Amino acid sequence: MINGQRHILMPPLKAVFSIAGILLILSILPIFHMSGYALRLMSVIFMWIALASCWNITSGYTGYIDFGPVVYFGIGAYTTALLMTRGGMSFFLSILIGGIVAICFAVPIGLPTLRLRGAYFAIATFAFAEAMKQVALEWDRVAGVHFFEGSHGITLPIGPSHRFFYYTFLVIMTLLFVISYFVERSRMGYALKAIHEAENAAELSGVNTLKVKVSAYALSAFFTGVIGGVEAYWLTYITPNDVFSIHITIQMVIMCLLGGMGTLLGPVVGASFLTLISEPLWARFPYDYLVIIGVIIVVVIIAMPRGIVGTWAERKRRNRGT
Amino acid sequence: MLMQSIITGLLLGGIYAAYSAGFSLIFGVMGVVNIAHGELVMLGAFTSYWLYTLAHIDPFVSIPLSAVSLFIIGYVIQRLIINRVVDAPPIMSYICTFGIHLIISNLALRFWTADYRSITTPYCGSNLECAGMVLPYARLATFGMAILMVGGLYLFLSRTDIGRAIRATAQDREMSRLMGVRANHVYAITFGLGAAITGVSGSLISSYFVIYPQMGLSYTVTAFCVVVLGGMGYIPGALLGGLILGVLESLTATFWNAGMSSTLTFFVLFLMLIFRPAGITGKGIVE
Repeated sequence: MINGQRHILMPPLKAVFSIAGILLILSILPIFHMSGYALRLMSVIFMWIALASCWNITSGYTGYIDFGPVVYFGIGAYTTALLMTRGGMSFFLSILIGGIVAICFAVPIGLPTLRLRGAYFAIATFAFAEAMKQVALEWDRVAGVHFFEGSHGITLPIGPSHRFFYYTFLVIMTLLFVISYFVERSRMGYALKAIHEAENAAELSGVNTLKVKVSAYALSAFFTGVIGGVEAYWLTYITPNDVFSIHITIQMVIMCLLGGMGTLLGPVVGASFLTLISEPLWARFPYDYLVIIGVIIVVVIIAMPRGIVGTWAERKRRNRGT
Repeated sequence: MLMQSIITGLLLGGIYAAYSAGFSLIFGVMGVVNIAHGELVMLGAFTSYWLYTLAHIDPFVSIPLSAVSLFIIGYVIQRLIINRVVDAPPIMSYICTFGIHLIISNLALRFWTADYRSITTPYCGSNLECAGMVLPYARLATFGMAILMVGGLYLFLSRTDIGRAIRATAQDREMSRLMGVRANHVYAITFGLGAAITGVSGSLISSYFVIYPQMGLSYTVTAFCVVVLGGMGYIPGALLGGLILGVLESLTATFWNAGMSSTLTFFVLFLMLIFRPAGITGKGIVE
């Protein structure tokens, strides 16, 4: 490894300390008396930060808009559910296998679809996710077996306390944050950003773009699958309509976009912002909630196309410049 | 049985073609994948529904009204919102139209409730029986209208001045501006036109399908499939794509399993994108 590269990989000490401080506070918080609601809300935020980071690794950096990441969430959820109920496997082993199964789908799916560009990639991934949802829904009736249980869903063993999921999601979120950091600063990260800027030029400079794209896609799929598995255990009851829902995809995309695509902090800011703003809105305006979310989306897209983090970074740069 | 299934599929395909042509037009001209497309179908259908319920106007008679109102809605949406993201990366327009989808479908839900509604016209049970096959009149008329609309749109784009301006803007926006075409206006006209023919299809649908405020997304998804099959942005392709998809779904439902027909749709869409993104005709826009 070149000397300079090691230097680039080292994060600034101030950032390391502040992030370690935040994580320390987050990990001792549940020891104090926290209401079940607060614990749940925090876990939900962690989960969405993790999911939005997964999407960010593939789509945020490359600009290839994956409109079907939920398929890996669903695959992870179903693998975990089937292994735990039919195989009697332990939770942690099940979610790990869930992530690996997601990779097994992601590589053969990614290889042909990641050659498509623009809207075609988005529509193809979307179609695949919807197709898999239909398979999970209809397989049993068509094949005459009891496997996925179709729309009846699968009931998992009752999980441990909320605190358990709080820590599980905290660990996954932290892991993804660290991985995103190193991906961003590594050769792979530069290749991903080069693909966004000018794919043909990157190819000509000797970057195996397809390989880089598929690796990023598989990495995202693995973690999305693991998170799907955790969510399945947390919900204790899953149906194809829940875990393959297009709304999960949309939420991942919007959070990333609100925070800032292709930035490290974007998913963190976007997911926290949207979850925190949704809660009071949903409580106060249950009927107009989705209309308001729609208006927020349109306004943010028009007023801040670079997202919160992107706009903030740009303003800072401009102030320094003048 | 086979013939009946194919005929049913063709009639279904006509309607698919009708509401997908607008989607193809909007994508072809502006590169916008309009996720709120199904909402335009819904609005058209509800226009006819209310005119029938409140004023007893037949859905086939209320077609011009729904075309005009949807044209205005489309023009305004384009002028106010989508024009601002046309030049941005494509993701912006997907998410922006998704926001519009949320707004329209949930406002509709708020005002019209989640009830499933349908129009029961005096002729809705009557069929044309011919050579042992059953052809419902309403569907035959819809099929005819659909062909007329797609054909009309094609002629409009190729023969009129506005049509030429639209095609010129689609090919090269900057150059057409230099030639005196007002691009923003042309985009708004295009979106309005797409919305109008989609609204008309909504009116046609209301005479025999169940309608409800949240119906939009599934129509958007079918429009995706139809347009990819026929070639994105190529208007006559929408007709071909619609008919193929209609027959395919009808055959699957008759000879295999109704639940599998949408699974098959998505796999066809997926495989089509991978192996032949320009569509069956090979005339779609490929980036």
